Amino acid sequence: MIVVGGLKFGAIYSLAALGIVVIYKATRIVNFAHGAFVLAGAYATYGIVEALDVGYWPAYLLVPIATGLLAAAVEFGMLRPIRQADMFALITSTIFIGIGLSEVYRLVQNTEMLGVRNPLPGPPIFLGDVIITKEQVWVLVGAIISALIGVVVFGYAPIGRGLRAIAANARGAALCGYSSDGMNAMAWFLGGALAGLAGIFAAPSKGISPELAISMITAGFVAAVIGGIDSLRGALFGGLVLGLAETVAAAYVSSAMKNAVSFLLLFVVLLWRPEGLFPEAKIRDV
Amino acid sequence: MSNGRLRAITGVLAPSAVLLAVSVFGLLFDTYWQYVFAISISAAVIGSALAMLVGYARCITIATGAMLAIGAYGATIPIVHAGMPFLAAIIVAIILGACAGLVLAVPGVRFRSHNLAMITLVFQAVVIIVLRESKTLTGGAEGMHVPPPVILGFSFARDADFLLLCGAIYALAVLPMAVLLAGAFGKNLRALAFNENAARAFGIDVSQHLIAAFIFSSGLIAFAGAVSAPRFRIIDPDSYGIFTSIFTLAYPIIGGMGSIWGGLAGGGILRVVPELLRPLADYIELIFCALVVATLTFFPDGLASALWRRRRTRHRRIKPDTSLKPASVELAPIAELFAATEALGLAAAGRDGAEPILLTVEGVSKSYGALRAVDDVSLVVSAGALHGLMGPNGAGKTTLFNIVSGFVAADTGKVQMSGALLHDIPLEARIRLGMTRTFQHAAVFERLSCLDNVIIGLGRNSIAQGILRSFGQAYANAGSRSERRAAQAALVAVGLGTRVEDVAGALPLGDQRRLEIARAIVSRPRLMLLDEPVSGVSVEEARRLRELLLAINGQLGIAMVVIEHNIGFLSSLCRRISVMSQGRILAEGDAASIIADPRVRHAYFGEQEAAA
Amino acid sequence: MAEKHLFRRRTIIKGAAALTAVAIPGLRAQRALAQVAPGVTDSEVLIGALGQLTGPFAFIGAPGRDNMQLAVEKLNGAGGINGRKLRLLFEHASTPAESVAAAKKLVENDKVFVLVIASGSTGAAAAADYVRSAQIPTYNTVGATPIIREPFARNVFHGTIPPASVTGQAMIDIGFQAVPSATKIGVLAGTYAFPQSHLAEIKPRLEKRGGLEVVVEQFDAAASDFTAQLVSFARRRVQLVLILGSFTEAGFAIKQAPEKGLSDVHYVLDGSAVNNAIIPVIGAENTKNVWGYFNAPYFPTQDDLPIADYRRQLVEKLGTLPQGRPNIYDLIGYGSTYILAQVLKKAGRDLSWQRVIESWETLRDAKPSDMGGYDVIFPETVTPTDHQGNKKVASARIINGSWKVVGLAS
Repeated sequence: MIVVGGLKFGAIYSLAALGIVVIYKATRIVNFAHGAFVLAGAYATYGIVEALDVGYWPAYLLVPIATGLLAAAVEFGMLRPIRQADMFALITSTIFIGIGLSEVYRLVQNTEMLGVRNPLPGPPIFLGDVIITKEQVWVLVGAIISALIGVVVFGYAPIGRGLRAIAANARGAALCGYSSDGMNAMAWFLGGALAGLAGIFAAPSKGISPELAISMITAGFVAAVIGGIDSLRGALFGGLVLGLAETVAAAYVSSAMKNAVSFLLLFVVLLWRPEGLFPEAKIRDV
Repeated sequence: MSNGRLRAITGVLAPSAVLLAVSVFGLLFDTYWQYVFAISISAAVIGSALAMLVGYARCITIATGAMLAIGAYGATIPIVHAGMPFLAAIIVAIILGACAGLVLAVPGVRFRSHNLAMITLVFQAVVIIVLRESKTLTGGAEGMHVPPPVILGFSFARDADFLLLCGAIYALAVLPMAVLLAGAFGKNLRALAFNENAARAFGIDVSQHLIAAFIFSSGLIAFAGAVSAPRFRIIDPDSYGIFTSIFTLAYPIIGGMGSIWGGLAGGGILRVVPELLRPLADYIELIFCALVVATLTFFPDGLASALWRRRRTRHRRIKPDTSLKPASVELAPIAELFAATEALGLAAAGRDGAEPILLTVEGVSKSYGALRAVDDVSLVVSAGALHGLMGPNGAGKTTLFNIVSGFVAADTGKVQMSGALLHDIPLEARIRLGMTRTFQHAAVFERLSCLDNVIIGLGRNSIAQGILRSFGQAYANAGSRSERRAAQAALVAVGLGTRVEDVAGALPLGDQRRLEIARAIVSRPRLMLLDEPVSGVSVEEARRLRELLLAINGQLGIAMVVIEHNIGFLSSLCRRISVMSQGRILAEGDAASIIADPRVRHAYFGEQEAAA
Repeated sequence: MAEKHLFRRRTIIKGAAALTAVAIPGLRAQRALAQVAPGVTDSEVLIGALGQLTGPFAFIGAPGRDNMQLAVEKLNGAGGINGRKLRLLFEHASTPAESVAAAKKLVENDKVFVLVIASGSTGAAAAADYVRSAQIPTYNTVGATPIIREPFARNVFHGTIPPASVTGQAMIDIGFQAVPSATKIGVLAGTYAFPQSHLAEIKPRLEKRGGLEVVVEQFDAAASDFTAQLVSFARRRVQLVLILGSFTEAGFAIKQAPEKGLSDVHYVLDGSAVNNAIIPVIGAENTKNVWGYFNAPYFPTQDDLPIADYRRQLVEKLGTLPQGRPNIYDLIGYGSTYILAQVLKKAGRDLSWQRVIESWETLRDAKPSDMGGYDVIFPETVTPTDHQGNKKVASARIINGSWKVVGLAS
């Protein structure tokens, strides 16, 4: 039961981590605003499910598109002018854009926390001693399927190939006809969409508040780095590992350890295998 | 006191003077504003510490809140639980902060950019968790009451007293930071942030410098946390959370990344803006974020720097140092350099009648996976020689250079310089052997002045030297003056005498290449590696550079190994040329025999041996 | 070289300009008006207040400000106090640093006559520490932690919210109202300030009762997954769970409980979780056995007379209220202002800090209706040695999808 609960959160973390990795692989930018995108997705879910009251299915379609567009807009409007600058400026910008977006949310919706209803309410399933709710299963399955779709798109579809070409050699790819600008926007769109999906799955169980942005960014990062920030499979794996580790630590050690565990895990991985558990080849040049 | 000395001392004392002046100025106001001024001065000091870490070294740190907490609790716990006097507790706080900086930096500096940010985030979170869980010691989440500071029986409970105490104590604390930032240590930090490879080639050990930067700035930040704690009356872990870390990051970004004033102004002003704009309390954070993003986009050096940069003059004439005797017109520049570096005690190359063989490369190979970049290469360079290295793209020339200069380790073979096996000597130490280099893409430190670029070329860049020289520069001691003279002479020697104070990044490419040469010769090395010194420059400029290199070689006895594609240039400069292709040495000899060599012609021009 | 001179000169000029910009408001405040006492003129009394207007605890400060403003308007409309109108200055403050700054600004710069601390936790503690040295009469309306109340100060008075010892005991009493024969009790506590002070009161009291098995589990602030803690309770088969946390935390815990094997359990919630916003979080199917303590005689959404009239008045002023309002802090903000008005009136026309403190210390059963308001809070009684105005705690329960006060805790 603890395992299922842990895996469920793990799947959400995987989705968040996947979005971060997609953006990183394509544009080499580590997006500290990703948590804010997840929050945007969760909030949009609230809007569609509660405020407009049209049920969950439209949400699964519309929210990723909306957050994808938001992410692409951030890339286009705020990051493109400083694309030439160094990593420091880019990363710091994403940090503050993330906080800024959370602030905008707080100003727009000045309540403590918004709740959305359960997508699959109803009595839980009993498997012997273990109690699982339908919602847990749905989140677990749904998140993993979405993540796999993301992996497939980025890895094998023509769009994905273009993104990886740009990442490997921008000028070369441009000469082959890929538009760098277009591809960057596309990468952010994809990453944002994945964030939005994470938001939809996270909304019922985590609630919608600015704290969601912070918790998702830290969890997503830790998961991405554990798995290898350059690896999609790693993001998937890393998220599940993190979710399990957190829940197990909370159950058997103490609740404060829950937070500490994720950070300690990150620390250990960075020291022992900084490329992550699924490294992909990298070349340095002088 | 000479003009230069006065300028140096006032430059270093100015931040302290301003802090003291602000605290005295604050006495004119009521107690609320005195409180605000005290907070502002604290924030200014935090800003100056972050100027070192974030502005100069360009490290993203999200651990400032934790450092403040370590300082605040680190002083308050001994005071409350052990009755320690205030000043002693402050010292404890500084030490704890410095140790925390060390603990954070040692794993952190193995990474840069995002991984470093992650490590600092981990540190921040763990510190807060530990503080919150240690209820008996810290009061846990409910916080801890902080008594007013007591020094020698006098209690600084009144706002005015506390403001003056702040002014005095911070003026003292910011002095070493000002010295380090204005001096060689600060310049070296900026250099490694601008161009890490060039910095390392001239003796700047990146890890050591970053660790030192972390230690100094963390110590100062903890100090600020400890001194400001009594004002808040209650300290709790949540006051020092991640948001504090992120907002203090804004101090150097908005204030200015390139000087201590940026940090001071950024911290001092941004911290009190919420007090001034109380009606806008709801929107303050959003305004902050927008301001930071706008600054990063449009003013990457910070707002303050952008306002100052307009005043930078383009061309300034330097006054020649009258203690140097001018010789004949043409040879004068090199001779001046000769004399100036003599004053610094730098040994002249070739003068000590040492071994005729300077550099030996034996059987060196390097593979990247299946690609053999360098394949069993052997090479000998004599003292004072002019040796060219030629070959089509991808032949392995730059890799060979990287192996000799220490950027890359060879798989097999050995490299010896003056008898010493280079294998065991780290990259940063090679300058002490007398080896310098230039880079394929002009690797100048673009936001430092030309003079500062060349001073770094002197190679006196270990941590200890950097710190000592900074303190020496604070009062313009004899050593720092000699260094400046030597650097000036080197710039004159390469023809950049009019550009001494100009920012290196503003120079056209040809001048940047000259600057690299000046930087590489000022330490009077025995061997210089030049990687495509004339690529991208005009024919006329190439000719002038050739004259310069010949003069340097002739008068200073510096041996040179030059990579170039330009056969004409190479043949008119070098007495001996090696040709590489596909990782191997194809041929070696003087210019004429190389050009006639059929293997060379085949590799370069695709000529086939005509059937006899 | 000369550039550095230019830099420094310009910096000094800019610095002086910045300081002058700061100086003008500061110097202006120096010009004191002819005053009887600070904050008191012939025609008005200045009341200062501080609380969290933004951030995670905005649901405490924002209602405080809105309702104090409403009460002030109504009181002024009815003629004011002894011929003077009231004017309110409300400053935002959350961290200790901000709270001390806000308090100093109000007391030293704006020179208010009384100060109201409408925030809880560490910020309030810092402000309280400050006012103890500043000596201004101070009304702590919502702070419950001991660090705000100790050491005792003659100028600090406490209002609606009783100390954690009283409310902690109330939770235990309500628990036994709900499950009189309970023998296994779970306590779920947040690790931050307020729940911890409750835990410190509840644990020893439960142990003193004897014959009980008590399981204590903790969680981090804003936690949303309580699997581990709930599983632990389920394993020990607790019958009653006391939840010390906010409505979001309690809400998620109760919602997740059935799926972790915890069913047929009664819950007693902290007063700050007794809020209708918890109901969508719990899910309508889980509201059967949810109790809590409440610091006012009526829950804000009940239809009893004084509270319904009050609600109408609030909506008139603010328009549509956000989700979860009015909450307890609305009631406290409104009622406390009337109590304060009564204190000021009793002190007479000739106002001074000393008179106000004397008037306060002889307050007996003061109610908002004494000054023309609605009785939405318990009456307050103060003595020279006991500055806690209200000690009554009500018990509340979710009935038919909404909270209702069902009686007193003890």
